[in-house]
Amino acid sequence: MALSKIDVANMVTGATPVANGGTGLTSGFTNGVTNASQWRMHTDLTGPVDPISANLEKVDTDGYASLGSDMTVSSGIWTFPGTGIWWIRGHGNLYFNGDSRHQHFAIHTTTDNSSYSLASSGYSSISKVESNATQQSSDVDFIFDVTNVTTHKCKFAFENVTNSSVVLAGASTHNFTWFQFIRLGDT
Amino acid sequence: MDRTTGRPNHIQDYLIQLHPNQWFTWTDSKNKVYANLRLTEKYGVNGNMISNPRSLPTEKQCTDELKKLQDAWDAANG
Repeated sequence: MALSKIDVANMVTGATPVANGGTGLTSGFTNGVTNASQWRMHTDLTGPVDPISANLEKVDTDGYASLGSDMTVSSGIWTFPGTGIWWIRGHGNLYFNGDSRHQHFAIHTTTDNSSYSLASSGYSSISKVESNATQQSSDVDFIFDVTNVTTHKCKFAFENVTNSSVVLAGASTHNFTWFQFIRLGDT
Repeated sequence: MDRTTGRPNHIQDYLIQLHPNQWFTWTDSKNKVYANLRLTEKYGVNGNMISNPRSLPTEKQCTDELKKLQDAWDAANG
C-alpha cells in the first residue's frame, strides 16, 4: 500500500539530510539571521566628516522593518546589540556641480574601543556631466567578528575630499546615504 | 536640491555650502523648516568630536541666499 502521509513526529528521528529535503540538523532550526537593521542620514552634508555623528535615523518609511535588537549610536560610534559575526554595510550617495578627483566613504572599526583602523574603503570621483550637478555613489562592506560588544565598535566617515563642496546626500523620506547591520551568525 | 535638475530648492542647499560638516540639524527630520533648524552640539573632525563653533544664520539670510543660488542656477541653465 502506498503511503500518502508520514507521521513525522513519531516516525522520523535524527537528522534528515539536506539532499533529502531536510536541514541536516538534529534539533529545531533555530539559527539564521537574528538581527538586521537599516539606518540613514536624513540631511545633506559637505565634508570632511569623521565620524558621521548627526542627522542619523532608523529607517521608518516605505514598509521598513527591522529584526531583533537595534544598534545604538552615540557621537557617531555604533554599538552592536550582541556578539556575533556582523555584516556592516554603508552606501554613500553623492552629488556635486563640478569636478572632484576623489572623496572617501569608509567604515572604521575598533577592537579595543579606542583605536580605529580603516576596515573598508570606497573612493569615488565626480566629473561634471551636462553642465549640471552630477550624481555618484560609494559602497562599503565589512564582516566584523564582534566578540565583545564593549570593545568592538564601528564608525563611518566621509573624508579625503579633494573638493569640500561635494555633498553627501541625506533624506528622511527614502534612503540616499544609509547604513545596514546584519548579524550573520555566532562568533 | 532637485536631484533631477540640480536646481537648489531648500534652505539646506545654502546651509551645507555655508560651512562643512554636520553643524546643523532639525528637530523634525520630516519637517525641515527654519523653525526646526538647530545647531548640533558637537561634530566629528579627524576622528574626534569637537564643540560646534558655528552660529545659525537668520531666516532671512537663509531665504535670501537660497534665492541667490537659484538665480545663479537659472542664469547658468537658461
